Amino acid sequence: MAHAVDPGHASEAEQTTTGLNHRKLLMWVFLGSDCLFFGALIATYMVYRGQSLNGPYPIDIIDVPVTTISTFVLLCSSFAMVQALAATNANDQRGIKIWLLVVILLGATFIGFQMYEFNAFKNEGLALGTNLFGASFFTLTGFHGAHVTLGIIWLLGLLIISFKGRLGPATALDVELAGLYWHFVDIVWIIIFTLLYLIAGFDVGPGPTPGG
Amino acid sequence: MTSSHQGQEGHHPTFRQYLLVATVLFVITIVEFLLIWPRAGIVDSLGASKIPLLVVLSAIKFAIVIMFYMHLKFDNRLFGTIFLAGLGLGFAVVVAVLVLFFALEGEPRAYAEARAVAYDEHGVEQVKEEVVQPTLVPTLPSVQPTTEAPSVAADTPTPEATAPDAGGGSAELIAQGQALFAGGGGCGGCHTVDGVTAGVVGPDLSHLGTDAATRKPGMNARDYIEESIRNPEAFVATGVPGAIKGVMTSGITSGLNDEQVASLVEFLLAQE
Repeated sequence: MAHAVDPGHASEAEQTTTGLNHRKLLMWVFLGSDCLFFGALIATYMVYRGQSLNGPYPIDIIDVPVTTISTFVLLCSSFAMVQALAATNANDQRGIKIWLLVVILLGATFIGFQMYEFNAFKNEGLALGTNLFGASFFTLTGFHGAHVTLGIIWLLGLLIISFKGRLGPATALDVELAGLYWHFVDIVWIIIFTLLYLIAGFDVGPGPTPGG
Repeated sequence: MTSSHQGQEGHHPTFRQYLLVATVLFVITIVEFLLIWPRAGIVDSLGASKIPLLVVLSAIKFAIVIMFYMHLKFDNRLFGTIFLAGLGLGFAVVVAVLVLFFALEGEPRAYAEARAVAYDEHGVEQVKEEVVQPTLVPTLPSVQPTTEAPSVAADTPTPEATAPDAGGGSAELIAQGQALFAGGGGCGGCHTVDGVTAGVVGPDLSHLGTDAATRKPGMNARDYIEESIRNPEAFVATGVPGAIKGVMTSGITSGLNDEQVASLVEFLLAQE
């Protein structure tokens, strides 16, 4: 193809055997494999659920209302993310910057909630090595927090690029891939929030877990 | 469109549609919260049915995000197939681990405790200290054969033909057998007798007094036990866990004298 495009973005116009963009395909492969990663951590949490011999137990420290608010924050960030992509496709330079900034701020707010939560748990006596609940809880939510943090760094990079005027319809895929990753982190949180907070958040001490 | 070769990309939702999607996600999250928050008063009436309800609601949220925010509804199907394959595998991992730990044997902690085996030879040493001494100490100081033995011996109908020179009744013989079984004889290193030893190599002998009568056709319990001690390979029972020809040989038991064998027989006959 002899498209007169910026050589840095030549990949966008490449012919592929699938007719699909390879970067986007690879992103979906990565997200599929990340399902296995979080699946293993979630399975570990569910196996250890109710097996802790000493406190604190979930009912002592899990704060469902606060986490519901941080869940709303993450949902809002996903909405802002699709707006950032729409602005990129429409070549709305001001919109790109504003929406990317909103996503970054909401993501940082979510991480702030998580830091507050981890700190509160630590003050209540729950550390990674306190009991099975602490070990499996911090490992699962910590790795999710690490994913969010990575997403924030990624989006900060895009924001810097956008100030140089390099984001637009021709490079929309750069924003779309970051968006796919960001939404994936959101759906992982949907599962974690339901399992760890709504269902297991009221678990008491040793013994069979109520209802499950 | 910027990437016409990708086909159906032109169908991205509009701002209003995205807003509608976000609103639906918000509403579902609020419903979820109200379902479980005690002060909302709904959770009590739901009971255990709240769990499938919450799972379904979060699955709906999950589906909405990947379909609209991640464009799977409008994009090439291959993207969705690849992602759903990973998602399915991840779900299979969760199910497999949970089945492994719960469905087969109930609580994993109970499973582990029920099968806990003392580590290495120290297990045998512990059995000596913990089990043999408590049984020997009460018996030995009160050695008054003429008064003690008959009262207990009356319980066992079997005559003491095999122990002519034991000098006491079968209760004393049983105690001797138990001490030998759990201690110096070393039997307990491989065999379990409930409350006495916990070996796991050979068959569990906790109910041998009953089982032995039917193990070998044409042979009663007493003779069968004696033969199994003196010549373990003469007959190996089928269908008994741990009963494997060649593991226990007559070389192991050849050092026992007749009195010791008799005491072991009495002890094992008493395990009903």
